[in-house]
Amino acid sequence: MFFRIINGIEEAIIALLLASMTLLVFVEVVLRFGFSTGMMWAQELTLHLSAWMVLFGVSYGIKVGSHIGVDALVKTFTPKARRIVGGIAVAACLFYTALFIKGSWVYLAKMRQIGIELDDLPIQKWVAHSILLIGMVMIAIRLVILLKGVFTGKNEGFTLTDEAKEAMHLAEETKAAAQGGKPV
Amino acid sequence: MTTAALFFILLLCLLTGMPIAFALGLSSITTILLFSHDSLASIALKLLESQSGHYTLLAIPFFILSSTFLSTGGVATRIINFAIDCVGWIRGGLAMASVLACMIFAAVSGSSPATVAAIGSIVIAGMVKAGYPKEMAAGVITNAGTLGILIPPSIVMLVYAAATEESAARLFMAGFIPGIMMGTLLMIAIYIVARIKGLPAQPWVGFKTLLRSSFTASWGLMLIIIVLGSIYGGICSPTEAAAVSAVYAFFIAIFIYRDMGPLKGEKWQENEGDGLPKMVVRNLLLSVKALPLTLFHKDTKKVLMDASKVSIMLLFIIGNAMLFAHVLTTERIPHHIAEIIVGWGLPAWGFLIVVNILLLMAGNFMEPSAILLIMAPILFPIAVQLGIDPIHLGIIMVVNMEIGMITPPVGLNLFVTSGITGESITWVMRASLPWLMILLVFLVMITYIPQISLFLPEYIDKLKGY
Repeated sequence: MFFRIINGIEEAIIALLLASMTLLVFVEVVLRFGFSTGMMWAQELTLHLSAWMVLFGVSYGIKVGSHIGVDALVKTFTPKARRIVGGIAVAACLFYTALFIKGSWVYLAKMRQIGIELDDLPIQKWVAHSILLIGMVMIAIRLVILLKGVFTGKNEGFTLTDEAKEAMHLAEETKAAAQGGKPV
Repeated sequence: MTTAALFFILLLCLLTGMPIAFALGLSSITTILLFSHDSLASIALKLLESQSGHYTLLAIPFFILSSTFLSTGGVATRIINFAIDCVGWIRGGLAMASVLACMIFAAVSGSSPATVAAIGSIVIAGMVKAGYPKEMAAGVITNAGTLGILIPPSIVMLVYAAATEESAARLFMAGFIPGIMMGTLLMIAIYIVARIKGLPAQPWVGFKTLLRSSFTASWGLMLIIIVLGSIYGGICSPTEAAAVSAVYAFFIAIFIYRDMGPLKGEKWQENEGDGLPKMVVRNLLLSVKALPLTLFHKDTKKVLMDASKVSIMLLFIIGNAMLFAHVLTTERIPHHIAEIIVGWGLPAWGFLIVVNILLLMAGNFMEPSAILLIMAPILFPIAVQLGIDPIHLGIIMVVNMEIGMITPPVGLNLFVTSGITGESITWVMRASLPWLMILLVFLVMITYIPQISLFLPEYIDKLKGY
């Protein structure tokens, strides 16, 4: 139950960020062509919304297995070897997040000390950029859960996306649409 | 030493099956820590800037969003109907129509596997029923599906633009003629095969039916026209065009095609004989009533989630690839390789052969965007030094990636075709081999006749008076 709520919140935030950045650029274009005005701050805001979406969403992507990777070699291993290699891969990624958590902590602390704002928006730079730290911590948590799964035998390592399999859903859907009579 | 370390760690990470983004980031950050004096904080800032400092990159999530709205079975069916009505009456017309449908759907969806799945699931069975050999049907679709990354708007081109800081708009112009040409080449080959084998033609459906199906398909076609028109005309940046097309796609999918959302399945005419005024008023009322609902509808959220999953994955790879490119440039690795190559006295055409072979090999193991992000920063400076146009190089790389999609072991299109036909991968490979030859000839043409790619961008420049 607790995890379902977390999942729902994660999805809502990601969807909201994507929708709002799209609409922001759209509204800016409409304003420019329709009313010959613009919003100075829109570009900076859009870029930061995008950064938030990506860095917030990476850990969600690990959970649902939407990242791509090369599994041609690992697939040829025995399940046990696959689990060992998978565990090493997860641990290596944990090392990556550790480096970034440290780096972003130092960076954010410095920004906070200086106390400058973004170029066009009256927001403290360290607040706008804090997503790097937040995102990396979230990724680290997800990786620890994954590593635990590898140890207990629940997972074999990272779940990678299979584009071919995803495309098959579309094939089913198209067949259904074609049989459902003439559209419009 | 640094070069060796960087590539060794990258390869090692990739082979463990970790996500490509982490492999790129980890190899770069380790190399930086081992061999240079950059602080962790500055690397962290670099990753953040890669996400919040490139306005052009935003075109990627927007295009993905717009294509997710329109990558539905309903849209595919409409495009297929239109294509069959258009060219079905020619000998071998059904196969030609599938190529045309692939071209249009590819431009709308921007994804090769999705094109093969959507178009192939209907037309392969249709062709077999009409008396075509199954091998031919499967082979044509597998190859035509690769057009998804060549015909603009194309995500892979945006990725190349991001990796090399070239203009995405010019790449979109450059890809147009090659895309049309590739489709035409396939159609000509089909016509010749159809003549020899005596393949059937469909009956001519008459102008009224053609008009009707083109009207239905025109809503989707308009998307391509809006995007390319505004970019070619210099009215919008690719990012803005992409955002507009995402909003347009949302309206088309929910209010016009009604494949999803609260109006799903709602008919345009309540009763068969309703007059036009009644129809307009009724549908306007329906749309207004549905508008607030669509914002919270589960279909809208599903599309948003699907699009953001892909966007996040891609943008995170790009961010880490920028770290990778940073290491490459600070260590002057491309520069050293370029010096060696120039020292060999390798001419530009010889270098392009090497590029083709290298990319074709890499294309067998990795996804197009990942290859571009790793290879482009290395190949780009060398090409520039040899006097090769960066835009031309981009198109060459994209065509190479197309071929990578139909060669094993990571040829996505092969897997999809195998899935929809129920045949083995080897069977699909054999079926698509003759058509792959056409693609290879096309690659040679693209590589050695730069004018095919460069004509349109240069012509548009001239029109604007540069």
